[in-house]
Amino acid sequence: MSFDQNAFIIILTGSMIAISCGLLGAFLMLRKMAMTGDAISHAVLPGIVIAFLISGSRHGLTMVIGAGLVGLIATACIEYLTQKVKLQSDASIGITFTSLFAIGIILITFLANQIDLDQDCVLYGEIAYVPIDLWITKAGTIMGPRTTYLAVINLVLAIAFVSLFYKELKLSTFDPEFAATIGLSTAGVNYGLMGMVSYTTVSSFEAVGAILVVALLVVPPATAFLWTKNLKKLLTVTAILGVLISFLGYYLAYLLNSSIAGAMASVAGVFFFVSVTLNRHQIPRIKSKMRRLREEMA
Amino acid sequence: MIQHIENPVVEVHDLMVSYGQNPVLWNVDLSLPAGSLVGILGPNGAGKSTLIKAIMGLVEANSGYSKLFDQELNQVRNKVSYVPQRESVDWDFPASALDIVMMGTYHHLGLLKRPGKKEKELAMDCLDKVNMKNFAGRQISELSGGQQQRVFIARALAQQAELYFMDEPFAGVDMSTEKALIELFREMTAEGKTVIVVHHDIYSAGKYFDWLIMLNMHLVASGPTAEVLTEELLTKTYGGKLSTLADLGEIIKKSGFNPLKD
Ligand SMILES: Nc1ncnc2c1ncn2[C@@H]1O[C@H](COP(=O)(O)OP(=O)(O)O)[C@@H](O)[C@H]1O
Ligand SMILES: [Mg+2]
Repeated sequence: MSFDQNAFIIILTGSMIAISCGLLGAFLMLRKMAMTGDAISHAVLPGIVIAFLISGSRHGLTMVIGAGLVGLIATACIEYLTQKVKLQSDASIGITFTSLFAIGIILITFLANQIDLDQDCVLYGEIAYVPIDLWITKAGTIMGPRTTYLAVINLVLAIAFVSLFYKELKLSTFDPEFAATIGLSTAGVNYGLMGMVSYTTVSSFEAVGAILVVALLVVPPATAFLWTKNLKKLLTVTAILGVLISFLGYYLAYLLNSSIAGAMASVAGVFFFVSVTLNRHQIPRIKSKMRRLREEMA
Repeated sequence: MIQHIENPVVEVHDLMVSYGQNPVLWNVDLSLPAGSLVGILGPNGAGKSTLIKAIMGLVEANSGYSKLFDQELNQVRNKVSYVPQRESVDWDFPASALDIVMMGTYHHLGLLKRPGKKEKELAMDCLDKVNMKNFAGRQISELSGGQQQRVFIARALAQQAELYFMDEPFAGVDMSTEKALIELFREMTAEGKTVIVVHHDIYSAGKYFDWLIMLNMHLVASGPTAEVLTEELLTKTYGGKLSTLADLGEIIKKSGFNPLKD
């Protein structure tokens, strides 16, 4: 068991990614759109590949914009299929994301010789390389791990988005019709959220991969939902779970000598199933005990 | 029997709405007087919710238009409140009764601003008006159907509107609460506000409302309660020989053969 600078950087980066994903994922879950998050995280793949072809680099703005755009296209496509074609929403999601994902895979396979974009890396990520992937300025100064910077920016933007539009997200999630009648653009909120999910997926795919990002979008909020029925607490518990998942995931991977992202997803799964098991009897009992304590103190 | 009036607070003109290929509302043309308590009657599937949704801009009309306060909806959103059917939302949403009622204050706040002390006090007042003050901190999933309904009404009150559309606000509400709510709506109309309520029970409708709208895909009646609450119009609304719009068997099935049963 070791705790060195590398471990710190990896856990820190993982935590920040997990918190960003969890905050946005909580709203996806409450909107019964957890699978849309899944869809988007897969659908951005062709965006990543095309942006890579254009810019020739895995880093940078082109990538974020390219994938972000495809994410929004996927959202629009899903909306179109459900609203206009009147397809069931799960069918719309399934069609959209498998098509875009397939295009992405085909692009990667076809262009495999030309581009240095490893399918495994895109799908599973490799957070272990974060400490050695350094951001070096033109002048030659070493600024530190690049992905960590990306994760910081992502986290700041995710927190800003959720706190600035908290009221709008809350209202349009709970009662979109009522929201529309007071003149709130529910489509605007929806695209904003999907845009943030797309961006977050792209920003973190190198670290945790396009698939495992889904685990971080879905599992921590779902777990937190078993523990609290208060939106602010739900977001807080989700964030705390994000940190725990990253921390325990790192050491689990260390022990088992396995992929860190995979271990993080496994830890997330364990948290969820423990909560489900506890939820049957214990959570209501624990909560009522806590409530009684609070009432006694008041 | 469709009575039109001067200077209506709500005016619906030749409204036609369909979902896909299925027409739901035909040629609805009505006007409602300000300061009245209006009931909308009609069997299940008659298009009562659709009428309100079309007026509130939630479903698109194929043709026709509606005006509120003689203006477009967008100009008067601050003066209009909508209470959806209770089943239209998921009550497992993580929020307390107070949280939901606070949502009624959002449109006065505008984008980015957060509700503060003033909004909270208003929300508590509104919860008090529907006799739910003691449940302010309760999780909405732990409320009974009738209590959830009252939370929705409190949210509407917090909007401090002039015109209220309520879709089945009495569903799941016990009799004494229903009476108290009617009392509350009466106070509101006495202040000049207009309250429009989708209602199920034609027996109490006669006592509750000043004005009745009877709907069954097309508009059967719209007028003062005393004038339109007749057996002939009720039969026309709930059963009997309806026009050729829809499959007759379907209508009979829906109305359960009993013209007075919903
Ligand atoms: N979103 C929808 N899509 C398709 N059909 C709908 C939709 N909403 C309502 N309908 C149909 O329109 C008709 C009128 O519905 P509604 O306005 O809800 O009636 P009511 O409120 O009077 O019971 C019904 O036949 C219903 O099945
Ligand atoms: Mg209805």
